[in-house]
Amino acid sequence: MEEKTLPRILGFLCKWCSSTGADLAGVSRLKMPASLIPIRVMCSSRVNPIFVLKAFLGGADGVLVSGCHPGDCHYQSGNYYTRRRFAVTKKIFEELGLDTNRIRLSWISASEGQRFVNVVTEFTENLKKVGKNPVKAEVFL
Amino acid sequence: MKGKIIPLKDNLNNTIKEVIKSLLEKGCFDAILVPNRVPSGESFTYLLINDQDFLESCTPLPPIMPIQGARALRNLTRRGKTSLKVLCVMRPCEIRAAIELSKLRQVELENISFMSIDCPGALVTKDYIDKPKDSDILYEEVLDQWTSEHLRPTCNTCVNFSYENTPSDIHIGIIGQQKNHILLLPISDKGNALLGKIDIQCSDEISSWQTNVKEILQKKTDQRNNSFSELQNKTAGAENLDNLFSDCINCHNCMRVCPICYCRQCFFESSDEVRIEAENYFIKAQNKGGIKFPANTILFHLGRISHMALSCVNCGACEDGCPMDVPVAQIFSYIGDTVQKMFDYIPGKDRNEPIPILTYKEDELHEYEDSKGQ
Repeated sequence: MEEKTLPRILGFLCKWCSSTGADLAGVSRLKMPASLIPIRVMCSSRVNPIFVLKAFLGGADGVLVSGCHPGDCHYQSGNYYTRRRFAVTKKIFEELGLDTNRIRLSWISASEGQRFVNVVTEFTENLKKVGKNPVKAEVFL
Repeated sequence: MKGKIIPLKDNLNNTIKEVIKSLLEKGCFDAILVPNRVPSGESFTYLLINDQDFLESCTPLPPIMPIQGARALRNLTRRGKTSLKVLCVMRPCEIRAAIELSKLRQVELENISFMSIDCPGALVTKDYIDKPKDSDILYEEVLDQWTSEHLRPTCNTCVNFSYENTPSDIHIGIIGQQKNHILLLPISDKGNALLGKIDIQCSDEISSWQTNVKEILQKKTDQRNNSFSELQNKTAGAENLDNLFSDCINCHNCMRVCPICYCRQCFFESSDEVRIEAENYFIKAQNKGGIKFPANTILFHLGRISHMALSCVNCGACEDGCPMDVPVAQIFSYIGDTVQKMFDYIPGKDRNEPIPILTYKEDELHEYEDSKGQ
């Protein structure tokens, strides 16, 4: 029963850090809500703003973009570009009056299994508080 | 800054043409890219000319802008730089768009020079095509008032209509002067050298023109603020999103006429987006109680905003090309403005300043990421 009321989060995790971090959380048998649907990308900078928008307009309650910590990018500088792009996307959300709490950028390294769990748990709790994505009810969106 | 006052010959366009002609005669350029009336007389398009006879029929400041000049230039330099020297006579927004495209490596600016003209705005193309003759007279009035309800909405709220923020080579000042003279202003060193070649010494005072520019800037800034606050109310919340774009018929015209949208394979026309299996739509429809077709029209607009808001020059081409009168340009201009302010960026202002998403700083924007040590 509880499963059904969980928010749905779409997560774009970079291959080199966040995805491995998620893996570590798994092999360490850490517990977290089953709310995240992970999608592995080669680098967080692969995430086109359209991905975030499409997930959101498609009814995802939250969208997580996650990559290596600044300075640790496998491709030297990919995540710096991600940050700029994400900031622009978030600003556009703000200007359109959409809930900016539903999109999130987190840096999670390969060794931070616990941090991955924390981020997902906290994000899920926040989304439970704000409720369902209002876009879900809009037939014309 | 000093300029050169040139007395008006019978009309504005002919006076500008005289200047262009003398530049051609002195061999400063091999060709000129300039707006020209189409044979039917109903519209304008860009012509690349090196024949002085053709120059007679051209219109350096046409009342409408059906083709954005930056797109014409993109066409010309698609395969690299031109071997001939070309002068482009354009509106300020067209030059700024061309500069943005050069940063995106879609336009090659070597051997290209720009001549900009104080721009009163462009009339709505659809209205012009209905009544070209009446509209020509109407445009004379616009040149007096410098604002009009017949202009594109974004033209009335444009704050970059003069030489500031536009890196052209030669600027022509016409605000408040069009009755008896025009002003020639060298903006760059290149422009200075060019004017030198046609024996024009820039030593005239331009303060009265500058006061006029400031006055109109103030007027347009007020209009801009008003329109932005109106839009701010309209764009609040997910429920209002579909109202904004509800008339859209998904023709993608706004994308095609946009000077900045350059991707050869657009995501919204790619197979990922278009060829979705029916089952997929059924699932979506079941979740929501129904879905609209064609799907993803809102995503198209929001996706386009997120891709090019930083480079949007507010030319209004998208809205002008829209068959359903969706206020696309006004929305883009409003959102573009806030996004550009994040990085203190004015698109097309500086040839050497990279577009903010093509560069980064190591220590910045921490308010957009999760706080550390969580």
